[in-house]
Amino acid sequence: MSISLSHLTKRYGADTVVNDVNVEIPEGSLTAVLGPSGSGKSTLLKLIAGLESPDEGRVVIEGDDVTDVDPRHRDIGFCFQHYAPFRHMNVARNIGFGLRVRKQPKDVIDAKVAELIELVRLDGKAKSYPAQLSGGERQRMALARALAIEPRVLLLDEPFGALDAQVRTELRQWVKELHRQIKVTTILVTHDQDEAMEVADQLLIMHQGRIEQAGEPTELYERPATEFVHGFLGPTTTFKGASVRPHDLELVATSVGAIEGNVQSIMELGFEVQVTVSLSDGSTPWVQMSRNEFRSINVGVGSPVSIRERD
Amino acid sequence: MDTPARAPSSELGAPPARRGWRRFSSRARSSFGLYGGASLIVGYLSIIVLIPIAAVAAHGFSFSIHTQGWGAAFWHWHLSAGFATFWHDITQPAAISAIRLSLWLSLSVAAINAVMGVAIAWVLVRDKFPGKWFLEAFIDLPFALPTIVVGVVLLFLYGTASPLKISLFETWMGLMVALLFVTLPFSVRAVQPVLASLDGESEAAAKSLGAGGIRTFLWVVLPSLWPAVLGGFGLAFARAIGEFGSISLIAGGIGRTTTASSYIYNLTQGFLWTNAAAVSTALLVLSLLILIATNVFARRIQRRLAS
Repeated sequence: MSISLSHLTKRYGADTVVNDVNVEIPEGSLTAVLGPSGSGKSTLLKLIAGLESPDEGRVVIEGDDVTDVDPRHRDIGFCFQHYAPFRHMNVARNIGFGLRVRKQPKDVIDAKVAELIELVRLDGKAKSYPAQLSGGERQRMALARALAIEPRVLLLDEPFGALDAQVRTELRQWVKELHRQIKVTTILVTHDQDEAMEVADQLLIMHQGRIEQAGEPTELYERPATEFVHGFLGPTTTFKGASVRPHDLELVATSVGAIEGNVQSIMELGFEVQVTVSLSDGSTPWVQMSRNEFRSINVGVGSPVSIRERD
Repeated sequence: MDTPARAPSSELGAPPARRGWRRFSSRARSSFGLYGGASLIVGYLSIIVLIPIAAVAAHGFSFSIHTQGWGAAFWHWHLSAGFATFWHDITQPAAISAIRLSLWLSLSVAAINAVMGVAIAWVLVRDKFPGKWFLEAFIDLPFALPTIVVGVVLLFLYGTASPLKISLFETWMGLMVALLFVTLPFSVRAVQPVLASLDGESEAAAKSLGAGGIRTFLWVVLPSLWPAVLGGFGLAFARAIGEFGSISLIAGGIGRTTTASSYIYNLTQGFLWTNAAAVSTALLVLSLLILIATNVFARRIQRRLAS
């Protein structure tokens, strides 16, 4: 295991922000810590980096207990939500910062910086200042700066949070590709479930300072361990008093034994159609289906229908 | 795009390249009509400062009008005579030594307080301790205190009858203590808000990249403070070079501790108005040059940092 956290706890006054977290993160994985804001995910990341110190528990990286090690000696690459660029240094000097701190010879630094600039596709920007870069470019510069010290672990705090939608999607794919190339154990924090599902090969769902569930994205989606995970990861509706995925339900003609109801509203979202049904037991579950399927059943608002779970 | 929007461009394509005046005026922007804003400031300053300053300067050059006809000869005579008198007045050994004393004292005071200002601002922003509110208020004291009161206090503390047994009477050290005290708020208050606005992420980033405390301060924090430090330096310098009240008592009456401001005061006591005006003008020009230099320097750094 690359990172293992045991009984990690952090309190701010009476608030327990991170509550008895026990996690093993495999070598070379790309793990997303997913949770609503205030769930303690950013604090967890800072505890690993050593930017916060835990009240209880241990942080072990590649077998070394680093709980009491100063962040500057942990060999961790940390990318901040707002990138924390050194604004008075140009791109090349930003990227070379960690190497200058480590007193590397100038030609080694220059070569490494040039290599990283190419890796993060900032060619021609070496002499630019952070103020002259776009958000996505700044993000990539921060990534290169963190990678320059050849960290054992790469930590990304809400890496795409401050970018506009299109850049965000591009950058996600790029980060995933980059990770495939360099294989450094990476943890990223996000509150966006789509982002986490798309990028990560391991998910940690956090809620109120605790890890609700950990595992592969598909496994968590299909077998959520708690109601919270069910609701947080993917669409959810309530049918017969239980949480189900709306695409696991289907509309059928009224028949004996099924709960009857009427179509309350229809929302067409291009390929996807969401149909909300008002059932006789008072509940109003919604059903997710494809456009073709919706066309074939031929219902409108007010149509009498029943709902059943798909096989 | 990161370049700030300038003049609204045509929807159909890039605006034609502008040159000279047209380019200049397209970049100008005013809340009170074209150049109305600038006129407002210049006009107001003219009434309260520029016109009196011009009068002093003119007096220094002896431009007073003893009319002997208004031909070219008049101007030639007056300008050359005026400049000769001016040069004679400001090159008096006493005048030179007074201006020199004022300059080096003010520059060193501004420099020392630039360092101490950063240190004190750091403590006020980053640290928590009981009684901090009192120190905050104490630093602003020179703003509120008539400077002659500072002079009296310093004379009591560091005069010949010093209860601390430290006499700085008639020494440049005494002057320096006075100036350090009255200029401190400028140095501290210039840096404090900038320091408070740093979010700490850059420092944490430096730390995670392996930098220790001192290196983080020198490589990461200080560079973002430079414009503010220079601004504080300029203000402290300006205040120090014009200071009179707080240093007049501890300086005593000897030539060695006569600053430019005291020298000018002494001249006016002897009704040597033209000499006083000449030295004032020299001081004014020197101060202005130093202020412009710090401003230009600070702006150059600021432009690079601005996002």
